[in-house]
Amino acid sequence: MENLLANSPEARTSPVAPLNGAAPVLRLTNIEKVYQTKTIETVALNQVTLTINRGEFVSIMGPSGCGKSTLLSLMGLLDEPTSGTIEVDGRPVTAYTDKELANLRNLKIGFVFQSYHLINDLSVVDNVEVPLLYRKGMSGKERRQRALQALDKVGLSARTAHFPGQLSGGQRQRVAIARALAGGPEIILADEPTGNLDSVMGEEIMDLLLDLNRRDGVTVVMVTHDEQQALKTERVIRFFDGSQVS
Amino acid sequence: MLRHLFTLIWNRKRANLLLISEVFFSFVVLFGVGAVLITVGKNYLAPQGFESTQVWRLLVRAQQGQKMPRAELDDVLRQVKALPGVQTVALTSGNLPFTFNTNNSDFTYKGRTTPFANTYDADDHYAEALRLHLREGRWFRPADDGTHHRPVVISEDMRQYLFGDEPALGKIFTYNIPGKVTKPEDEFQVVGVVDNVRMESDFSAAIPSVWKRLIPYDTTHWETAAVLVRVAPGQGGVLQEKIARTVAGVTRQWSTEVRVMEDDRQHRRLFTLVPVVGLCLMGLFLIINVALGLFGVLWYNISQRRAEIGLRRAMGATGAGIGWQFLGEMMVVTTFGVVLGGLLAAQFPLLHAFDLPVQPYLLAIAAAAGAVYLITALCAWQPSRLAAAIQPAVALREE
Ligand SMILES: Nc1ncnc2c1ncn2[C@@H]1O[C@H](COP(=O)(O)OP(=O)(O)OP(=O)(O)O)[C@@H](O)[C@H]1O
Ligand SMILES: [Mg+2]
Repeated sequence: MENLLANSPEARTSPVAPLNGAAPVLRLTNIEKVYQTKTIETVALNQVTLTINRGEFVSIMGPSGCGKSTLLSLMGLLDEPTSGTIEVDGRPVTAYTDKELANLRNLKIGFVFQSYHLINDLSVVDNVEVPLLYRKGMSGKERRQRALQALDKVGLSARTAHFPGQLSGGQRQRVAIARALAGGPEIILADEPTGNLDSVMGEEIMDLLLDLNRRDGVTVVMVTHDEQQALKTERVIRFFDGSQVS
Repeated sequence: MLRHLFTLIWNRKRANLLLISEVFFSFVVLFGVGAVLITVGKNYLAPQGFESTQVWRLLVRAQQGQKMPRAELDDVLRQVKALPGVQTVALTSGNLPFTFNTNNSDFTYKGRTTPFANTYDADDHYAEALRLHLREGRWFRPADDGTHHRPVVISEDMRQYLFGDEPALGKIFTYNIPGKVTKPEDEFQVVGVVDNVRMESDFSAAIPSVWKRLIPYDTTHWETAAVLVRVAPGQGGVLQEKIARTVAGVTRQWSTEVRVMEDDRQHRRLFTLVPVVGLCLMGLFLIINVALGLFGVLWYNISQRRAEIGLRRAMGATGAGIGWQFLGEMMVVTTFGVVLGGLLAAQFPLLHAFDLPVQPYLLAIAAAAGAVYLITALCAWQPSRLAAAIQPAVALREE
């Protein structure tokens, strides 16, 4: 419950660490993201300020098009805000070089995309190995081992040699989750990870994320449309039309 | 990472087959052109074995049905030789350097046979006129008139074919006509060995050669006499006319033609260069086509794989890393094509195709491989940079 305090305006702008002693891993301040196309200008995020603390499980809710995916890609250091600052471990993102950013993404962050983004020309296990390819000094054997472990966690041990095209939507989602897990990230950013799963499978994935969060202390930020799931998380951030409403 | 690239390429083999076959095709074309160029270039750089500057060729023709008595021919040679500006005059057969006339035979010595060798008739002044480089023994001389066997001088490569590393001087060899009784004048006794000569053109290889001494026998059945005239530096048209008049002074029945050997050489050079340049242009055209094709295919591939690029970026690849990956993939694909092409090209030296030495083929394989890698790297460069610059968030949103 203490964590809810972190969501109060005072806590957000406070330079001091929250009361429970958790350090902020991600801090977004006055973020604005404007998409400029020839005809229109879309304000996808409007003056968003929020902090994600280490070890938190945060869910993000809001209607379609309110900017949830945009927020996640900013948190995942895939994009730059139009204005405002993003800090990782207390250091503004603009201070990192390209290489450091890539390294951060690789070591710190596990991404689960709304539309899986598996590489169709790679088998399931090869897909899961992709983040490990960008890790220096890891042997092929260790990569394979880690990938198989991650696949085991999502219950896909029997499908490692399949190709994405041979899997159901739910199975693909699980591969995407296994890929996010394989690197052993500090933060998992999941964009509707259970959106394509039946309730039983959705439940299992949710339990898996909860488990990772509780047992391994992984910070999870999850976009969801499911109130039931959101209730299981420590904090719910609601968005409407690019702005944070709670 | 390399293994990952192999997996990726293997899994995309159908798409990559086109690229591999284009690489293979370019390799084979470049190998062919390279082999020709290297052979021609190597020949060009090899010593000619004689000197054609300041040598003229004089063709003396008897009119139809007319004979060419030895006495009158000797008279012509003597008078031309006496002209100021003329250094040497030599009587030979019609297969003069840089002309299209050839005379060839194969020979045998103690069971060893030679490939076809150029055979020339040459008098005692021939070596001096063409400035052949004597390696062993001597050139012909008047004292050879009395010899029983026919004195010959052979080129170094001919010596190798006939005698290997054994000494050649004094040995007697014959035409390679099994079962036929050899006339004494067809028993050739080696009196000298000269450096290899390349008398066909500047670009042709050395051909084993045999110079047989023109024995002073009856020339009445001759219709043409080919004469080499070495002149002093700076001689030109005036002397040419004088020579023609001199011949006419001996007998009005004969016609003459004086040509500068360097002109024949230029003519012959063009004769080789034109097809070689044509081949190069054709090769260049094909390679440009292939390069444009490669460029297009790579460009298309990258546009097809934007989501993958975004994903890799999200998983920790740097922009530069993506660029290198695409370049690397192309290099792996190139390697497949080059290996396939190399296997084909290797058959040429292995089977000793066209009787050419192995080295130019190996050089051509190396050069073609280098060129293909360069071309594909250049073609992949721009698309790879394009891939490196793709914004991950934008790429991931598509699909
Ligand atoms: N590259 C872009 N160019 C223009 N507009 C964009 C771009 N990306 C997103 N937008 C707009 O920004 C807004 C927020 O998009 P976003 O994908 O973040 O929504 P979302 O909350 O994830 O929706 P959903 O729940 O449907 O996934 C939308 O109005 C969208 O049209
Ligand atoms: Mg979304």
